Amino acid sequence: MTEVNPNPNPNHNGIVASDWIEQAQAAALLRYPVIAGRGPSFSVIEEFNKWRQQADLAEAVAAIRALAAVIRASEARTMMELEIELKKASATLKSWDTTSISLRAGCDLFMRYVTRTSALESEDFNTAKSRVLGRAEKFGEISYKARKIIAVLSQDFIFDGCTILVHGFSRVVLEILKTATQNKKLFRVLCTEGRPDKTGVLLAKELAKLDVPVKLLIDSAVAYSMDEVDMVIVGADGVVESGGVINMMGTYQIALLAHSMNKPVYVAAESYKFARLYPLDQKDLAPALRPIDFGVHVPPKIEVERSARDYTPPQYLTMLFTDLGVLTPSVVSDELIQLYL
Amino acid sequence: MPDVQSMVLEFVNKLRKRKIEGSQATARCTVELLKSVVSHHRLPRANQASALIDAVRGVGAQLVAANPVELAVGNVVRRVLHIIREEDLSLATAAVSELDFNGEGMSAAVVAAAARSTLRPPSLQTLLEGTTESATVPYTFSSGVDSESKTADKSSITQKLKDDVRGGIDQLIKDITDCHEQIAEQAIEHIHQNEVILTLGNSRTVLEFLCAAKEKKRSFRVFVAEGAPRYQGHVLAKELVARGLQTTVITDSAVFAMISRVNMVIIGAHAVMANGGVIGPVGVNMAALAAKKHAVPFVVLAGSHKLCPLYPHNPEVLLNELRSPCELLDFGEFSDCLDSGSPLVQVVNPTFDYVPPSLVSLVITDTGGHNPSYMYRLIADYYSADDLVM
Repeated sequence: MTEVNPNPNPNHNGIVASDWIEQAQAAALLRYPVIAGRGPSFSVIEEFNKWRQQADLAEAVAAIRALAAVIRASEARTMMELEIELKKASATLKSWDTTSISLRAGCDLFMRYVTRTSALESEDFNTAKSRVLGRAEKFGEISYKARKIIAVLSQDFIFDGCTILVHGFSRVVLEILKTATQNKKLFRVLCTEGRPDKTGVLLAKELAKLDVPVKLLIDSAVAYSMDEVDMVIVGADGVVESGGVINMMGTYQIALLAHSMNKPVYVAAESYKFARLYPLDQKDLAPALRPIDFGVHVPPKIEVERSARDYTPPQYLTMLFTDLGVLTPSVVSDELIQLYL
Repeated sequence: MPDVQSMVLEFVNKLRKRKIEGSQATARCTVELLKSVVSHHRLPRANQASALIDAVRGVGAQLVAANPVELAVGNVVRRVLHIIREEDLSLATAAVSELDFNGEGMSAAVVAAAARSTLRPPSLQTLLEGTTESATVPYTFSSGVDSESKTADKSSITQKLKDDVRGGIDQLIKDITDCHEQIAEQAIEHIHQNEVILTLGNSRTVLEFLCAAKEKKRSFRVFVAEGAPRYQGHVLAKELVARGLQTTVITDSAVFAMISRVNMVIIGAHAVMANGGVIGPVGVNMAALAAKKHAVPFVVLAGSHKLCPLYPHNPEVLLNELRSPCELLDFGEFSDCLDSGSPLVQVVNPTFDYVPPSLVSLVITDTGGHNPSYMYRLIADYYSADDLVM
């Protein structure tokens, strides 16, 4: 009996014994300390923070690089174990900021890419692990370069003498405008103030450094200035399955205005921001609340709308500039379905 | 080879002087020319597909530069390039799966999947597989063959690629020639009894479409806008009457007045762009706006050689052709105004109009009827991402 039964206890005699239960419990407890045991030497949050310190690195890219480091430092001996470690690390990263959509989407995409086992089944673990690590590093590379690719793809849409309305402070949009100045295009930018985050002033300062003519508008002056605008360019916190985008509060308003006045609305978003969400209206989003300072004291019984972002449905968007190419909003759901199905 | 060169130069001349009219005729001539280029090109031992692609691309760039407004030329060149890549790929996977039987180690399915992804535009799925494994595939075919086969086999494999490409091009010629029948077959689904159809310009596709519905015993009326200044509408009206259809000719300015009495607007496109926007004869934008206002479906007919993978940037100017003002004004009529150094009168005679995708209800191609937002899919089927810039 002992030769067929892998139980190391030689006193086993075929009935459920209490030592079985003890061993099962010990084995269950044993699995978790594998991660915590390496805690002092490796923490995914530490790695994440280390990457985030690099200037201009997006959160999601830092998360992806941190997850790649998890694979490298992993002592797992089977693919299942590696996957479990990655899932744990991914969950830890997502809990760092539960409201960030791009962080969540980036981690989910990473897990999807890295654990696709189509070619991994027949290989031994070390080859599979190095292949997975290769993919992870590659994904990190691609995500890092995504901004440059988007900037190059969007150049044709900016013509000489155009006026661009920008909302929010998106590093991708800034990259697009920088590349346009490098290509010697002449254009003018209108920035919305972006209360209460002051994004407008920050962006205007950056653009002034590039010698781009900038005009600041208060958020309510958008409709007033819309007829001199040729196009609206915004970034995105996340791109949802319907092809709509989730972005800083005010984007929906501006998109509605632009649509009613026949101005194109372009969204610049990296492909790791494609999320498996399908909001049907504004309240379907996970709330991301932040404090708003009105400058004067507001009595506590007055309610304040503190949401930081809104959802813009796809019918108000003209084009999405992504590192996968220039896409119409209907392509996004196609892409996501192909990936996850 | 010198024969092909002179053919190319002759065709370039014809294109530059706008001697060939119509996308279908231009597309056919371009394909025939590219077929001779492919047949006469001498292929090197290794990297045959790349050599063919470079040759076709060189000729294609000349043709596109000669007439940048005729998008069918660029479309057809890109189709041929896509055919070359596809045929090379299928030969490569066939060769690799043979090698795999000798125990080369790389699973044929993996290689095929990775290589196939190089032809499709970048997508979330293939983002990573695209570059890691594909770099090996296009070259294993040529190099693997070199080591395995003898010289007699080598020349037969050269021939194989050329034969396959020629076969693909013949299929393309057939598709271009048959597009009218394919589209006309769908007429019966869209035109119903006692309907009133509005059309503009003189498109052979529209003519065949309407006549096919007539053949199937649907009785309907056609309003034809005359399409000044060329009055192509008159030509179409005569042909429709010859085929027994009840026709009414209206002026272009009457389109908005009549649109409320119309059930459907059907026009033939000059080109359909990647965002679903349509380039058609001048006046279609006006008809599209009128149709939108009165909720009349705006249907566009386009053969697959008219699908262009580019996005339109300022199409009213850049993708338009200004014809001679003599079509509007007789010589001598305004000569006193036009004679001075900087005349106060200018005459603009554009050929094409751009209709944004939001105004188009349906695009009917030889594969069926599609939403304009679906164009990206058809483009991904027919063209490779590497060929967009020539």
